[in-house]
Amino acid sequence: MAQVYNWQLGREMDYRFEEAHPERQFAAVFNINRCIACQTCTMSCKSTWTFSRGQEFMWWNNVETKPYGGYPHHWDVKLLQLLEEANPGGQAWNSSQLGDRQPYGVYNGKTIFEAAADKGNEHALGYLPSDEEWTAPNIYEDTAMGAVGVPNESHLEATQLPEHKTWFFYLQRICNHCTYPGCIAACPRNAIYKRPEDGIVLIDQQRCRGYRKCVEQCPYKKPMYRPTTRVSEKCVACYPRVEGSDPLTGGLPMETRCVSTCIGKIRLQGLVRVEDGEWAEDRNNPLYFLTRVERVALPLYPQFGTEPNIYYIPPRWVPRPYLRQMFGPGVDEAIDRYTNPSRELLAVLQLFRASQTIIFRYAIEEGEKLEGTELFNDTAIGFDKNDNEVVRLSVREPFYERPQQFQNSI
Amino acid sequence: MRTSRRWTVLGITLLALMVAVGLTVSDMRLASSQTVTLVAKRSEAQVPADDPFDTVWSRANPVEVPLSAQTVVPPKAGGDRTITARALHDDERLYVLMEWEDDSEDSLVSSQTEFSDAAAVQFPVTPGETIPAFCMGDPNAPVNIWQWKAAWQTDIDEGFVDVEDTYPNASVDLYPFEDEDVFYPARALGNVFAQTERETPIDNLLAGSFGTLTQTSDQIVNGAGEWRDGHWRVLFAREMSVDGDYSQFAEGDSTNVAFAAWDGASDERDGMKSVSQFLTLEVSPDVAEGSGGVTVWIIVAVVLGAVALTLVLALYGRQRQRG
Repeated sequence: MAQVYNWQLGREMDYRFEEAHPERQFAAVFNINRCIACQTCTMSCKSTWTFSRGQEFMWWNNVETKPYGGYPHHWDVKLLQLLEEANPGGQAWNSSQLGDRQPYGVYNGKTIFEAAADKGNEHALGYLPSDEEWTAPNIYEDTAMGAVGVPNESHLEATQLPEHKTWFFYLQRICNHCTYPGCIAACPRNAIYKRPEDGIVLIDQQRCRGYRKCVEQCPYKKPMYRPTTRVSEKCVACYPRVEGSDPLTGGLPMETRCVSTCIGKIRLQGLVRVEDGEWAEDRNNPLYFLTRVERVALPLYPQFGTEPNIYYIPPRWVPRPYLRQMFGPGVDEAIDRYTNPSRELLAVLQLFRASQTIIFRYAIEEGEKLEGTELFNDTAIGFDKNDNEVVRLSVREPFYERPQQFQNSI
Repeated sequence: MRTSRRWTVLGITLLALMVAVGLTVSDMRLASSQTVTLVAKRSEAQVPADDPFDTVWSRANPVEVPLSAQTVVPPKAGGDRTITARALHDDERLYVLMEWEDDSEDSLVSSQTEFSDAAAVQFPVTPGETIPAFCMGDPNAPVNIWQWKAAWQTDIDEGFVDVEDTYPNASVDLYPFEDEDVFYPARALGNVFAQTERETPIDNLLAGSFGTLTQTSDQIVNGAGEWRDGHWRVLFAREMSVDGDYSQFAEGDSTNVAFAAWDGASDERDGMKSVSQFLTLEVSPDVAEGSGGVTVWIIVAVVLGAVALTLVLALYGRQRQRG
């Protein structure tokens, strides 16, 4: 076991391989507050990558209703339970000392790698979901949290922020293209690799022998076994788009299908620069700004230890203990900053789904104070890889009034 | 009374001696270390590569090989198990037969949690003074592995087992581009696992340490496996001399052989298996004599004779005492 640094845990941890990092890392921010679970992302992924025989049950992108929903069923509850059994009562954070290398403090519990190292038989803690668990991918859709301990009972009184008593939210999930992937640690064949150019994690379809150790030991359950080819497949991060080799891209890095089709504009995806094993300071990269400067976007279950690279702006209305378990101790600060956004944050939030082209840099042009509000009509400008402007959006959306003579036209 | 006991003791000693002689004559050996030799004698009768239960196998000398759990690298699994190994050759091809007990026949991999029973034999690519590590070889002493899989056997016996064979209603109305392999990437890349038309249930592989197992482009090992009454019998057959950097065999030569077995019902796959140490494999010019049926009958006759003799001696002793 090697020792690697996991900034999300604020400490070194055990991992099967020595620390190694790509030049850039595929990353995304999903704003849970905006999602309406229309599943357009899910279907765009399905119709691009998993429409063939043997992939019927595969949803590389899925949106599940929390707290009850899950694809495969109860994947996260099961993982949390395995961790708890391996280290009873120990999954705690010390957030008394924060810093650049430990923005959420220090995780004192065990990761999936450390919990497995105690026994020595496996590289990571995990389980293999059954066929039944992969069915009904949207089970418990829109099912709200009921009254605790009272079956079939909801809180019927009016509810208000900061925490709703009756609540649910949508969790959008793709492969996290982790810095320390569970699947790579698990694969006895070294058939899974992380690309040095963009950190995208892929299963070599020629080397894979369908052992399903990756399915077992990816805590997010995103590698899936395909019975028609007898090997495992996973989200490929639409790499032809991200690398700009898809003819549609015109040679410029382009967002994935699930991101670019999001009608709720909840997703922003790109590439962050990595230097000396850490995200290079790149204040005007929107992903860097949201996760490292404003810290409104948080990793999903950082305690698993894989350093996932999809970041979530947590839902404002959900009870904090649940969110802290899911996104770590950064939840309270993230919700506060999102609820009362800085001028810059408000402007950057406009860039979500503004263009298919990946935004490598943004600039802000300051605007007038909006009458009757505390908001400013600033303009966010996005630039592509070649630093050409690809998008320009103001905080206040332009208002168009249809002329009288076109009132009923379509 | 004393005389009678003396005659009985004599009889039992004779019986034990004769059983020992019988075992020696039939060449049944128990392997416990790598000094034990598996001898592949020359078969004058034809050895069918598709029938592991053919009577020709009664002419081969069985060797009991102990297997134990793979505990060197994670994922670790497997257990203590014994296989019976036999080998023959016919000047052109080498045949290795494995037999072991398995309560369940696990020969499907169409659901997420199904794993196939499997068996493998392993040889050094280059026989010599350096015997590779019995677990997947060494970088400078690679191994040639032949792995048989029950799931592949099912594909051959019954046709490729598809999702619809397990879940008839899983399929949807339309699969766009169904004939284009690119949407079955493992198949498009020539991964043998994804083949729908299989010619052999045995995978020809090379390895030079853990994690390096690599499928070769030459699927040149034939054979067959069959599960009967709680037993698997798996037959591996290959030309003794082949093109490529694979193990080569020749009459009069010796090399090493190791065995592995996987139990699908216990979720065993990859390194989660039971393995043996290396044994010596001798490709002998001697002819595999007589049918096993005859050998068995000789043992039976010897044992029955010994029992009869013991009884006669005991009765004789008793009569002498009375007299």
